[in-house]
Amino acid sequence: MFLELNGITKHFGEGESRVEVLKGIDLDIEKGEFTVLLGPSGSGKSTLLNIIGGIDSADTGYIAINGEKTADMNEAKLTRYRRKHLGYIFQQYNLIPNLNIKENVEVGAYLSEAPLDVDDLLKTLGLYEHRHKLPNQLSGGQQQRTAIGRAIVKNPDILLCDEPTGALDYNTSKEILKLIAEVNEKYGSTVIMVTHNDAIKNMADRVVKLRDGVIRKNYMNETKIAAADLDW
Amino acid sequence: MRNPLIKRIPREYKSELGKQLAVFAFFVLIIGAVSGFIVAADSLIKSYNDSFEKYNIEDGNFELMEKADDELLRSIEDEGKITLYENFYKQEETKSFESKLRIFGERDEIDLVDLLEGDMPSGSSEIAIDRLYAQNHKLEKGSTIKLEEKTLTVSGIVALSDYSALFENPSDMMFDNDMFGVGVMTDEGFEALRDNHIHYSYSWLYDSKPKNDEQAEKMSEELIKVISPKAQLTNFIPEFSNQAIVFTGNDMTGDRTSIIVFLYITVVILAFVFSITIDSSITAEAGVIGTLRASGYTRGELLRHYLIVPTLTLLAGALVGNILAYTVLEKYMAQAYLLSYSLTSYKVLFNADAFIYTTVVPMAIMLVINIITLTAKLRLSPLKFLRRDLSRRKKKKAFRLNTKIPIIIRFRLRIIFQNMPGYITLVIGSFLANAILLFGMIFNPMLLDYQEKVKDNMLAPSICVLKADAETTEKTAEKAKMISLTSHVEGYVKEDIPIYGIKENSRFIRFDHDTDGLIFSSSYRDKYGLSEGDTVELKQQYGSKKFKLKVGGFYEYPAALAIFTDYDSFDELFKGEEALNVIFSNKKPDDIDDMLIASTITEADLTKTSRQLIRSFSSLTSVFLVFGIVMSALVIYLLAKIIIEKNEQSISMTKILGYSDREINGLYIRSTTIVAIGSILLTIPLAYLVLSKAFEVIFRSFAGYFEFTVSPLTLIRAGLLGVAVYVVIALLLIRKVKRIKLAEALKNVE
Repeated sequence: MFLELNGITKHFGEGESRVEVLKGIDLDIEKGEFTVLLGPSGSGKSTLLNIIGGIDSADTGYIAINGEKTADMNEAKLTRYRRKHLGYIFQQYNLIPNLNIKENVEVGAYLSEAPLDVDDLLKTLGLYEHRHKLPNQLSGGQQQRTAIGRAIVKNPDILLCDEPTGALDYNTSKEILKLIAEVNEKYGSTVIMVTHNDAIKNMADRVVKLRDGVIRKNYMNETKIAAADLDW
Repeated sequence: MRNPLIKRIPREYKSELGKQLAVFAFFVLIIGAVSGFIVAADSLIKSYNDSFEKYNIEDGNFELMEKADDELLRSIEDEGKITLYENFYKQEETKSFESKLRIFGERDEIDLVDLLEGDMPSGSSEIAIDRLYAQNHKLEKGSTIKLEEKTLTVSGIVALSDYSALFENPSDMMFDNDMFGVGVMTDEGFEALRDNHIHYSYSWLYDSKPKNDEQAEKMSEELIKVISPKAQLTNFIPEFSNQAIVFTGNDMTGDRTSIIVFLYITVVILAFVFSITIDSSITAEAGVIGTLRASGYTRGELLRHYLIVPTLTLLAGALVGNILAYTVLEKYMAQAYLLSYSLTSYKVLFNADAFIYTTVVPMAIMLVINIITLTAKLRLSPLKFLRRDLSRRKKKKAFRLNTKIPIIIRFRLRIIFQNMPGYITLVIGSFLANAILLFGMIFNPMLLDYQEKVKDNMLAPSICVLKADAETTEKTAEKAKMISLTSHVEGYVKEDIPIYGIKENSRFIRFDHDTDGLIFSSSYRDKYGLSEGDTVELKQQYGSKKFKLKVGGFYEYPAALAIFTDYDSFDELFKGEEALNVIFSNKKPDDIDDMLIASTITEADLTKTSRQLIRSFSSLTSVFLVFGIVMSALVIYLLAKIIIEKNEQSISMTKILGYSDREINGLYIRSTTIVAIGSILLTIPLAYLVLSKAFEVIFRSFAGYFEFTVSPLTLIRAGLLGVAVYVVIALLLIRKVKRIKLAEALKNVE
């Protein structure tokens, strides 16, 4: 198994304000799989993604990638884990505001021993002519494409996407989803995407539905719909 | 209803407790010190100014070769429109310790004496002596002072109103309250002292006081014309040029101005630090501000809100600083003056000026700079705040950096460019802090170095200036001639320059006697920027005759401004002038009648300036050192902290991407390191240049000169100290970066 989640629990707050966000999550994901984590607000999907990404830690349970448990890792090892295996895409892009578009992608490339060619990637992303601009000179969609570029330039094993289309309009959202699907197909990256947009489940290999911190459904799509054909 | 935003203020203090405490402590320190200084200085200046009338301080004094008879005195009084007072003194060398003691008789009419401790002398062997002189030689009531032929008992400690600074000669560069002291005896006691070194000094008061120094100068020139044809003047010192009287006032007033200017520069720098902090808070809170503005909050309400924290911090610092100033610091500050000057008794006065200078004006500076920053920022529309688009211009374009430069270096460069206003403030703050630090570090070594140079380059181990020609059996004795002329150069203080006529083949002073022109001492060259071939004009001390002297070369003599020429040229140049005889020797001749010796010049005389400066400033130099370090640390830390805070989200994102702490420090802290270290490397030499220029200008208003020398090692030490301070800050910054959570990037802000 490429990615194994076993008995993950997580709570926030103490005493009366204690909330159990994850109540024992077990999940196995194969390499190259496109997984969508669905659920309403407060279901624990973003927390789960953060635990997979090593941004947050679980109270109990473990995550193993290729058999290596993240819980056993110290901070330095966790950093290496993120560096080697993970790419992150957020709803709010989180680009570095004082670096231009190309430099933002290069910041990702620096972390890899065999990064993709930055200029080629920028062309693929349709950002080449904007490469010298600062993030605030671009539209939301262009910024999100830059964030995708930064995440995939190091050719990560796992691409974690937290509501990547949450701040975008319908058409731009579809463009971004198409791009993520292409990355998944072209580079074989395992994609885990958090969304509350139910329509997106149709483009995934695996759909995991969470509610109140537990997995309510976990199934494989028999047929996938291309991102361009999604509708909501 | 009260503005609910007010509730944020305690929370803001709580969340930034460390920073606010550091800034508060800094304000307390600087405002307390400056306010304490102004309170002390103003109280002392008031007492000093009042002393002129209270103690009837003279308008000047002159000394005659012989005692004047009544007829001569009356004619001088009538023609000069003055009243004369005998103010004879006898100057003796003390035997129990090395010093010269100038003893006066009773003073009932002029230059009155303030009794500070003990009693005025009543017996003929009693003396009341100056406070600082007593302090430096551990003398108190009942102590004895051994003179050549008499032992005196100290009856009390006094301040002589015309000797607030213990200058032995008006031409001395600096006073010397260690090797020179003054005291008063009863008239009987004074009479009973031997007359070997009696000085027929007469003090005068004008019938109608001059209105200013310019008029005083004119009146003194008229007076000299009255006296010089009637008697042989050996000294003529109008009050405005009597360093023993005026130096204290000039110094205290000058210090006061400098220290206030220094406070304002510091406040301006801190105001900029605050305005950068506010700017960064506004950027961070753009969404909140946009919402508040959209909900109807006015710009004024928000402006007032963001002004509260810096204003409150400054106000609290100023209040505590002022309380400390009046209760504790004033005494320390006054002590700095009381260790240097023989001031008459004074009272601490409440000082509205100190409050205005240290609280009202800094507050105004802080408010103006912050209001300008805030007004400019808050002028943006609520929509722009909501969109977090706070650039006033159209979308800022990124300037291009060569893509061949590795991304990490470009990243660092971008951080530097992004934070340019902060870094510029850092460089300016560093410059000021380093100038203060450097001053604290160089002062003592520079003076010690000067002392060594003086010792190594003395004209002769013993120099005796004689009233008349005398013979000696001392084997190493060598005769020379000397005349004193006065230098008058625009922008420089008037000073007396000794010109020596030196015999050929002198064993003490060797120079080419065939030189076309005269030989000037190296310190003369350095002070006036002379080159060979220049011409220097000097004037008779008590006459109007001028002498044009050509610079023929230079002689390495850092101790004093002096000119040398050969014996024959001396006679030719100063034919008809009254020259003094001088004996250079390896040891003081012991067979010359003491009555014939006008003065002796020893190593102690030549090093008195440096010794006094070390005594007066040694405690202050450590204050400068500490202040420089604190200021540098505070400015660098506050600005570097803002840079980290401003980039918290990006730092968090780089962590998520997989950058290690070390790599992140390499990006965000190394940028500050480059600027901080760069500014140390840049500002230390710059501070050195500014200080050397300042010294050069300061020395124009002092008689004499000493070279501003700083060993490269001192500069390196200053640099290393700056680096050490930065290392501590960098460790704090590293801790701060380490504490930034990965989840920071997940916050719903851009």
